[in-house]
Amino acid sequence: MANPFSLLAPALIPSWNFFDVIAASPRVEHALADTREATLEDWDEFRPRPQRLSPAVMLGRLVWNPRWNESLYLVSCAERLVEEPTVHGEDEIFRRIAADLAGRPGTRPWLSFRLQFIDAAGEREVLYQAAPRRLADIEVR
Amino acid sequence: MSFDHALRLTEVLLALALIQQSLEHLRVFRRERLLFGARILLCGLVVAGAASPWPLVVLAGLSVLILQRFQGPYNGGSDRLGLLALWCVTLARTLPVEAWRELAFGYLGVQLMLSYFISGWVKIVNPDWRKGVALRQVFAFSAYPVAESLRGWADRPRLLLAMSWAVMLFELAFPLTLLSPPSLMVGLAVAATFHLANAGLFGLNRFFWTWLAAYPAIVWLQQRLF
Repeated sequence: MANPFSLLAPALIPSWNFFDVIAASPRVEHALADTREATLEDWDEFRPRPQRLSPAVMLGRLVWNPRWNESLYLVSCAERLVEEPTVHGEDEIFRRIAADLAGRPGTRPWLSFRLQFIDAAGEREVLYQAAPRRLADIEVR
Repeated sequence: MSFDHALRLTEVLLALALIQQSLEHLRVFRRERLLFGARILLCGLVVAGAASPWPLVVLAGLSVLILQRFQGPYNGGSDRLGLLALWCVTLARTLPVEAWRELAFGYLGVQLMLSYFISGWVKIVNPDWRKGVALRQVFAFSAYPVAESLRGWADRPRLLLAMSWAVMLFELAFPLTLLSPPSLMVGLAVAATFHLANAGLFGLNRFFWTWLAAYPAIVWLQQRLF
């Protein structure tokens, strides 16, 4: 866990280098299985973006945008996980995927996720894959 | 705009922006509900002007707990400016000497100006931005476009080149808008439109409200300096 004041310092002395370099971008993908040892083959993108959004929906998101902001938070978690793996980062991604899956009937009991990065050439590379966890053991409240 | 008026306007706008963000955290997780529920109550006190400056002081302390909870800002740059604004406003309310209070509030105005200028600078020194390639990459493969249909913008190189230069030139020229109150108003209107576009295209709604909340600080700073 990082020292909270080391987390605060970049806010008080900001760098403001927004979008200076467009780096490879992560996609969070998840897969479900019946056992811990099962081979994971069917990966689904977590919260794929919709094909289209109307201007009215875009405007509405100005005041209520929790799922998208959470997805952007997971992008940060993914980038941090690849840079420096931490239990916190993995927990956060597991919890949010599990919360989305909670209540879906017939969901298989073991969950894993992987982080696939897409670069400027369109190449895709999996840079991180989490060991499966039992869905029932993931705190979603 | 007087110091007191600008400070009050900033703290109210910031509290409203923080309430908007906090409401989004009340949906699912219990620990987040506790942290952000407390933040909503404190922001309500700030808006009401009750028990000043203590709600701000507690909010500043709470901001450290929230940073610890997510091991960093939840939403990158927008949360960073929110934190900066909160700490500057808190110091501007609590420091014992008037000059120090003005310095704390002025620092927010300076950082707001730098947020545009430095963003423009880091882009213009990058050949990919100058050629429009970087913005094409943002639309083509970054995580930001809110809909798949927006990825099609990556195939409009002339439009993206024009957009890239418009953004870079505006950001670099922003400090010049401080030369007079009318030019600053024009600059802030253009900047707000830019944030509005980012909110629509990339879902960055928090940037819009947080940057808007800090605008009174730069309006006051302009009048204080020129």
